[in-house]
Amino acid sequence: MNEAQSDKEDGLKRREFLGLLAAGFAAAGCSPRRPKETVVPALELAEGSVPGRADWYATTCGACPAACGALVKVRDGRPIKLEGNPDHPLSRGGLCARGQASVLDLYDARRFRAPRKGEAAATWAELDAAVMDALRLAGRSGKKVRLLTGTPSGPAERAAAAAFVSRHGAGHVVYDPVSRSAILDAHALTHGRRALPRYHFAQAKVIVSFGADFLGSWLSPVEFTKDWASNRRPADEWDLMSWHGQFEAMLSLTGANADLRVPLKPSEERGAAALLAELVAARTGSPKGPRGAAPPRVAKALADAADLLVAAKGRALVVSASSDVGTQALVNWTNQMLGAYGATLELSRPSFQAEGDDAALPRLVAELEGGQVAVLLVHGVNPAHDNPHAEAFRAAAKKAGLLVSLAGLPDETTGLAHWTAPDSHALESWGDAEPGLGVHSLRQPAIAPLYDTRPAVETLLAWSGKPASAHDHVRALWRAEVFPKQSEHKDFEAFWVDALRRGALAVSAAGRGEGRFDAGALSRLGAAPSAPEPGAFEPVLYASNMLFDGRQAGNPWLQELPDPVTKACWGNWASFAPEDAARLGLVEGRLVRLRAGALSAVLPAHVQPGQAPGCVAAALGYGRPAAGPVAANYPTEKMFPIDKEAAGGADVYPFLGRTSAAVEVLPGMSLLAKTQTYDHLADPYTKKRREHIRETTLQELTSDPRAGNPSEEPGASLWPGHAYKGRKWAMSVDLSLCTGCSACVVACQAENNVPVVGKAEVRKGRDMAWMRLDRYYSGTPGEEAGESGQVETAFQPMLCQHCDNAPCETVCPVLATVHSSEGLNMQVYNRCVGTRYCANNCPYKVRRFNWFDYAHQDLTQSLALNPDVTVRTRGVMEKCSFCVQRIYSASSAAKAEGRVLKGSEVRPACAQSCPASAIVFGDLNEAGSPIEAAAKDPRSYRVLGELGVGPAVGYKTKVRNKKV
Amino acid sequence: MSATASELREPLVDGDKSYRDVTADVCRIAEGTPAPLWYGGLAVSATALGVGAVLVVHQVWTGIGAWGLNKTVGWSWDITNFVFWVGIGHAGTLISAILFLFRQRWRTSINRSAEAMTLFAVMCAGIFPLIHMGRPWLAYWVMPYPNPMGPLWVNFRSPLLWDVFAISTYFTISAVFWYFGLVPDLATMRDRATGLRKRVLSAASLGWDGSHRTWQHYETVYLLLAGLATPLVFSVHTIVSFDFATSVIPGWHTTIFPPYFVCGAIFSGFAMVLTLMLVARKAVRLENYITLRHVDAMCKVILLTSMIVGLAYGTELFTSWYSANPYEQFAFLNRMRGPYKAYYWTMVFCNVVVPQLFWSQRVRRTVPAVFVMSLLVNVGMWMERFVIITTSLHRDYLPSSWILYHPTYVEVGTFVGSFGLFFTMFFLFCRFLPMVAISEVKGVLDYGRH
Repeated sequence: MNEAQSDKEDGLKRREFLGLLAAGFAAAGCSPRRPKETVVPALELAEGSVPGRADWYATTCGACPAACGALVKVRDGRPIKLEGNPDHPLSRGGLCARGQASVLDLYDARRFRAPRKGEAAATWAELDAAVMDALRLAGRSGKKVRLLTGTPSGPAERAAAAAFVSRHGAGHVVYDPVSRSAILDAHALTHGRRALPRYHFAQAKVIVSFGADFLGSWLSPVEFTKDWASNRRPADEWDLMSWHGQFEAMLSLTGANADLRVPLKPSEERGAAALLAELVAARTGSPKGPRGAAPPRVAKALADAADLLVAAKGRALVVSASSDVGTQALVNWTNQMLGAYGATLELSRPSFQAEGDDAALPRLVAELEGGQVAVLLVHGVNPAHDNPHAEAFRAAAKKAGLLVSLAGLPDETTGLAHWTAPDSHALESWGDAEPGLGVHSLRQPAIAPLYDTRPAVETLLAWSGKPASAHDHVRALWRAEVFPKQSEHKDFEAFWVDALRRGALAVSAAGRGEGRFDAGALSRLGAAPSAPEPGAFEPVLYASNMLFDGRQAGNPWLQELPDPVTKACWGNWASFAPEDAARLGLVEGRLVRLRAGALSAVLPAHVQPGQAPGCVAAALGYGRPAAGPVAANYPTEKMFPIDKEAAGGADVYPFLGRTSAAVEVLPGMSLLAKTQTYDHLADPYTKKRREHIRETTLQELTSDPRAGNPSEEPGASLWPGHAYKGRKWAMSVDLSLCTGCSACVVACQAENNVPVVGKAEVRKGRDMAWMRLDRYYSGTPGEEAGESGQVETAFQPMLCQHCDNAPCETVCPVLATVHSSEGLNMQVYNRCVGTRYCANNCPYKVRRFNWFDYAHQDLTQSLALNPDVTVRTRGVMEKCSFCVQRIYSASSAAKAEGRVLKGSEVRPACAQSCPASAIVFGDLNEAGSPIEAAAKDPRSYRVLGELGVGPAVGYKTKVRNKKV
Repeated sequence: MSATASELREPLVDGDKSYRDVTADVCRIAEGTPAPLWYGGLAVSATALGVGAVLVVHQVWTGIGAWGLNKTVGWSWDITNFVFWVGIGHAGTLISAILFLFRQRWRTSINRSAEAMTLFAVMCAGIFPLIHMGRPWLAYWVMPYPNPMGPLWVNFRSPLLWDVFAISTYFTISAVFWYFGLVPDLATMRDRATGLRKRVLSAASLGWDGSHRTWQHYETVYLLLAGLATPLVFSVHTIVSFDFATSVIPGWHTTIFPPYFVCGAIFSGFAMVLTLMLVARKAVRLENYITLRHVDAMCKVILLTSMIVGLAYGTELFTSWYSANPYEQFAFLNRMRGPYKAYYWTMVFCNVVVPQLFWSQRVRRTVPAVFVMSLLVNVGMWMERFVIITTSLHRDYLPSSWILYHPTYVEVGTFVGSFGLFFTMFFLFCRFLPMVAISEVKGVLDYGRH
């Protein structure tokens, strides 16, 4: 039967059918961006758009105020992946896990599809009329109009807010849920300027951090990781590697990467900062300041740190995440004595990544309680949850005349709002960002708004009486403010197109100088934070690497992303030092109640080696009822019930600012969902350390380039090896650079359609990550500190090693996993029958099995799937493919251009996103390529190389700088 | 025959039975009305089978995630049960083929049931590799058959493929051997039967006429089949052990496995034969045929194989220590001291310590003691397979992947279901087929008699 016949019989021509299909897709909202009025079947695509070809647009990540540069991959009109923009002056090609995951927020089915009045759908006209009426009334009644936002992302938002404020005589209240207010306030105190300095970790050879998790969640982690990593490449000249000391209460990602990490309680931070300042003052001959004090072990470490800091004067940096202005002022003083201002941190060209004021929100709450606020607009923050005054705000919000939320997703505040004016997602809107003075980046939409939403900038402009599209607004601002500051382009049009193409640019910006340090400030430090009540614990509340302030709590990728240090996910927990846990009789998973006054939170306990005794640490951003239930790819239930569990966790924002919390051990248990359940390289019986992570110190490395890396070649083989006449794909991971930030984990998940299986499945040990980050502590269980007295941590990205003699390949009865001529270990999904023998025989345990059908609960989020990668069915094995789809698309692109692909052109998702550039990928047979150099490096080794399996992934020894 | 028998030997059949008695005693079971106990036993077994069947439907429909396996432990109860049942399946062929070749004439009373048990055990074993697959509906892909997919061939390097061949060959030969041995007895029953029963038995007995020529052919073929089946007793469990021995996992990658597994299989197989025979001789009053002397002889085999198994355990420990391989050393320390240490020590107790009581003839001839010990041996042998499979997997090379495994109700229920299948088949066998080889017993009736 030929095609014509079949068409006749079906009564529908194939082409007609395809046309209808395409129109159906277009109507379903996945059409390329074009005017809304006409629906055009995808058969006739917009000019230049080719089905199946990915287009990339430069934009600005909207996941947090750091505003990193991003590239959006758009396939068939749908943004499906975010990657770092190499042209962005700050993030330089890196993008963190949260940024990568934000593409899934775009497709979140819980997004508002239209404006809402209370719980009911409304139109923009109704909303605009209601708000304008209320604003007019407010003007007449003399009551207040307030705009409550987080730190504006850039000039466009700032200008829109300013327009609104000036039109209505409103007050603009800015706070940051994860507050950096103390740093700004301290600079107001010491330098007479309330500003956030820009930190240049790349310039710093000696770094001392008091609790600042700058590699994880502090201010601008991608930028800082890039900078920090640039000094962590042990080169021939030993002084090139920086030294990093971390004094902190809970073991943070940054602390885990420090050369020296000293547990320090928050209540001791002021004394320690003062002691460091005092020691530095003594060594630099500066005038004396307040006296410091610290426990003996801390004091010893501070003395060592002071020596190093002073020796590296002008290239030293001290940072602190303390919320105590006095501590921050002491840090400023130390930096001043070290000549850091203008060198490793700049006030002259400040950062705009956090501008909030901690005092502003309580003032607003007081105004609300007094019934003085007629109109309150909330944008970019969730005041009913993300701050310690949330409960008071919830009560006071009822007294607001009109509460309008501009949130795009339901949150605790939209639940209280009279109206909701849904903001478009960052990937749907025009905008810009200025993370630091002179650093400008553009945000351009990668898709037309999926729903009837309006960018917050447009909403604010409309309500300011200056309605304009966000595009026109941004363009006008750039013409007026950015264009004149650059010299590259004479024509604005050319400049604009170029800026859009590149996404970001740095312009010269005349700063105001570093400012003078006011020594008198040291006498006005205020009272130190009080110590906890006897028998109580000090609460340490931190922004986690996964959820940050909690705004992405509904994102399944981030909920299932294991915490880099604890390896737990799907909820928060209360961390205790091992000593405290032993005293309280706590085991992991035992429920505890934290109490401070009337506040109470119930969390499962976690025992954290390296944590300062006397503290209890918990992550912010969890326990958000409005963010759930999180739609993930939970197992499909067909006959009998399958275990399911919602995201856990408790809201600990109310405890922010408390210095004391009582801990009550409850009878119940709630086991953490952890992706790694044994934490040490040494086994508990022989206590021998396994050399999967090889370490050395910079000092040993200078005398022996193979330090800590003895050759362990397998014995001779009876069989000839593979020839690999063409390409031989290989990877190298530098363990000195890898911070464990887990950006690669989410990058891999997004690129390869890795399902999110939910808390119950993770707890059973069935997480599906192709790329995982192994984290090991020194020592053995319960004896992590050992003789050194220090808990040392090491991270190791673990993925399929693409072995030359892969143990998985020989055991598969049906040849579902085979070796390619280019050294790839390939999994053939449709041949796999699921015996799991390959996974058993994998020495690295990187293979993942589809135990169930993992259908996405949120069908809209399925739009973020990568069409280049098969979605696996149940019963088949899967694992890292070295992003084979990228290899082949690069290969065919090269072929189309009539040339041979160079291996170094291909970058798997993990290597692309790595903010530390720790991952190098390429063709070992390509002479002079980075991967060839990495493989020949004396620090290079293979995990379990002695087995003779011939892994294609090499690791470089972890080098610690043991100056102290 | 009696003329050649030594006067010092005890007779193999008690009760001074005549040929007629033998025929009557054995056929009575199949021809009479079953005892209420039989109905009760069948009901329990069939219920267990039903539970297992429902759970198998559940796991095939929903996904093998219904089990407690995880990313590190890809096999546990599934392959433990598989090896357990294959092991049990070893006694039948050993008794019928090897003991036949060695002229161990006491085998005649038990060989029929032992062979039937082998078949049922291999059926139970075969189910597990099938249902443990992620996509069992594609299980036929493990067969090398001409296909339109390329054609795609199977991987002859994979021990799982060797398993497919080994188990299917073993099952086929065992089934043919068993059925062939049944033919003369089926003819005997045919001659006693009427109606439909007669017609069925006529067809099943393949026109047996009892002539001299028929007997001559029968004896020749039986001898040849015994010769064919003998190497299989060794090959099957050797190949099953290759699943582990050829891998790279510490605790699996062990050259001692083939003899160790074969001995273990014979050990557990004899224990299971004992368990069944001790019940059967009481339940259907076959004490005169399955005598205490039979029990005694089987206990001796168990004692021998127990000591070989014990030696294998010791050798494993020594080798791991002597290898100086830290992974290997840890794997065995972890068995003895790790989270599954209770399984390890139960295994040692049941498999090495308990059978030592069989040095005493009094114990060997005390039915309740032997019964309990035969059960313990099978518990121990199940533990052995669990220890080898699960404790090796749950903590292998990279400590980051170390994890615990806990079975779910589905695994437990499926295992119970396999017992259901086994006993249901056995009860049906007892009821409908001659469970003692009539013609062979008649051949040894004079043994040890004057």
